[in-house]
Amino acid sequence: MKNKFALAALFALLIPLAMFPLSLVVRTYDHPGFTRLVFESIQGFHYKVFQSTTGLEIQLKEKADLKEEIVTQSVLIDKVVHRLENNKSVFNIRLKSPFKVQRSFVLENPFRLVFDLASSGEPAAKEEVKNDATKPETTKTGAVNPTPSQATGPASENPLSPKKQGVIETICIDPGHGGSDLGAVGKGDSLEKNITLKVGLMLKQVIMSKLGIQVVMTRENDGEVSLNSRVSIANNRKAHMFVSIHVNSSFRKAARGSETFYVSLKATDQEAFLLSQKENQSTSTSSPDEEPRDVVQDDELKMILWDMAQTEYIKESSKLAEFIQEELNVLLLTGNRGVKQAPFRVLMRAAMPAVLVEIAFLSNSEEEKKLQDDAFLNNVADAIYTGISRYIHYYNNPAGPGG
Amino acid sequence: MNKKIIYSLVGLALIFFLGALIIFLNSKSGAKKKDLAVVTGNNVREELKAPELLKVKIFFLTEDPSYMKPVEYELERPTIYQEIYRKFVELLLKGAENAVAPVPEGATVRSVYYIEQKQLLVIDFSEELTDRFPAGSTSELEFIYFIVNNTCYNFKEIKAVKFLVSGNESGELTGHIDIENPFYPDQMFLKNLME
Repeated sequence: MKNKFALAALFALLIPLAMFPLSLVVRTYDHPGFTRLVFESIQGFHYKVFQSTTGLEIQLKEKADLKEEIVTQSVLIDKVVHRLENNKSVFNIRLKSPFKVQRSFVLENPFRLVFDLASSGEPAAKEEVKNDATKPETTKTGAVNPTPSQATGPASENPLSPKKQGVIETICIDPGHGGSDLGAVGKGDSLEKNITLKVGLMLKQVIMSKLGIQVVMTRENDGEVSLNSRVSIANNRKAHMFVSIHVNSSFRKAARGSETFYVSLKATDQEAFLLSQKENQSTSTSSPDEEPRDVVQDDELKMILWDMAQTEYIKESSKLAEFIQEELNVLLLTGNRGVKQAPFRVLMRAAMPAVLVEIAFLSNSEEEKKLQDDAFLNNVADAIYTGISRYIHYYNNPAGPGG
Repeated sequence: MNKKIIYSLVGLALIFFLGALIIFLNSKSGAKKKDLAVVTGNNVREELKAPELLKVKIFFLTEDPSYMKPVEYELERPTIYQEIYRKFVELLLKGAENAVAPVPEGATVRSVYYIEQKQLLVIDFSEELTDRFPAGSTSELEFIYFIVNNTCYNFKEIKAVKFLVSGNESGELTGHIDIENPFYPDQMFLKNLME
């Protein structure tokens, strides 16, 4: 009797829940060489995908709470139309040109169904890309995380055609800390140095496979590398970009989120340095007849030249940081701490656009758990890669759509 | 006649001498009276003015990133004024109740120097600052600007702060922020209510 009552109560509770439509968000994002289409919901949903020459059709088993026409500003997607059939949502994605699904995958927390669509010169294949026979109810509980092996496009579909790759040929990835330098340590004994190395190696793999660009690492094992050596490696190898990967820590236990830095060379710091140099030179002169000005001017000139070189890259570094941080926000949904400037020693002598990415906080117990998950770290690598590819596109097409 | 002149001169000399003696004795008794006044506590003179107190306000971090907790203190002005900077930094390191002090445990101040021509305060910390610092760029920035912003806020003659560790220019704290150059106050890293 008690069991029957409990079952009835449970049923009574579930009915109202079933009546609520699925809360769904549809987003599109143009990347270099492909357009990303994302269906996002807090709760998972069942779906079927059908592809035709002109677009995709996504059939859900639930009713979604969405407007009829979802307006997109995309290079490839013309419009996304939502309609109800038998109280179930159907989305028609109409493309502007022949296309192919470069890859598709599912992410969790929140649930996201992701399609990367690319323009193709051939009529798109009529076969089903994926249906829930291959991704059945397990989409609610399981997730397929993006890995380089999921890229279905052939080499010629590489987001960067060879002619565009002319300028950026080498990227330097710097996994922070290493050896006896543990970096931040979490309460669960996670070590920053291990996390940065994992992400760095994942990032290297995805860049080399998808962009065909040479990658130089400041370390590929648990070795100790000084800060000066790291930037020297990048400078000596003539890298066109320097990305340093770190995990953060704060005195505030509640601090969370990701942030991306580029170097700060504030004018006041420079002035102070120049002034101190002048003063040091003038006071060190023993003879009143001795003219210290030549020495001071030489140092000033060096500082000015160095300052000019650094300033040239600051704008580019700012853009690179912006693209990477945007991707971290989109893919990870970690707290957005934004893009900031700070006098990071490892960035200060880099002769190329240089950024430092703080993935999340080891001092935050929730974020430490995420950082212990390889799937999360893979997503981080993917986000950084996408930011880099957007920067490369921007760099080669400064007048075009911004990444 | 001669005797009269002599007696007159002697008398004048005596009067002069007595006058001088009286003046001299008066000055001595005045000082004694002052001393007496000091001893008895009556008519306290300026020499007994209470030590000057300097009010300072320190903004401590809290777990709320948009709020810093202000705490007021009174510091006794030392004989050598510059020693007040050391006292102030020691207050920063001490922390406050229900506040987050972004300072590693055990870190102390070895010495403090004020360079007037550069309006620069140089603080030399003990080696525990780097040995026990929890690695992380945010924790480094929290520490740096907690010290710099509070110092420059309370002492208008100080425009920048430079950090030393065990008497040496340390390149960085835990592998992130370069601390060789002085730091100027920056509100970006610590949102606070400093007016």
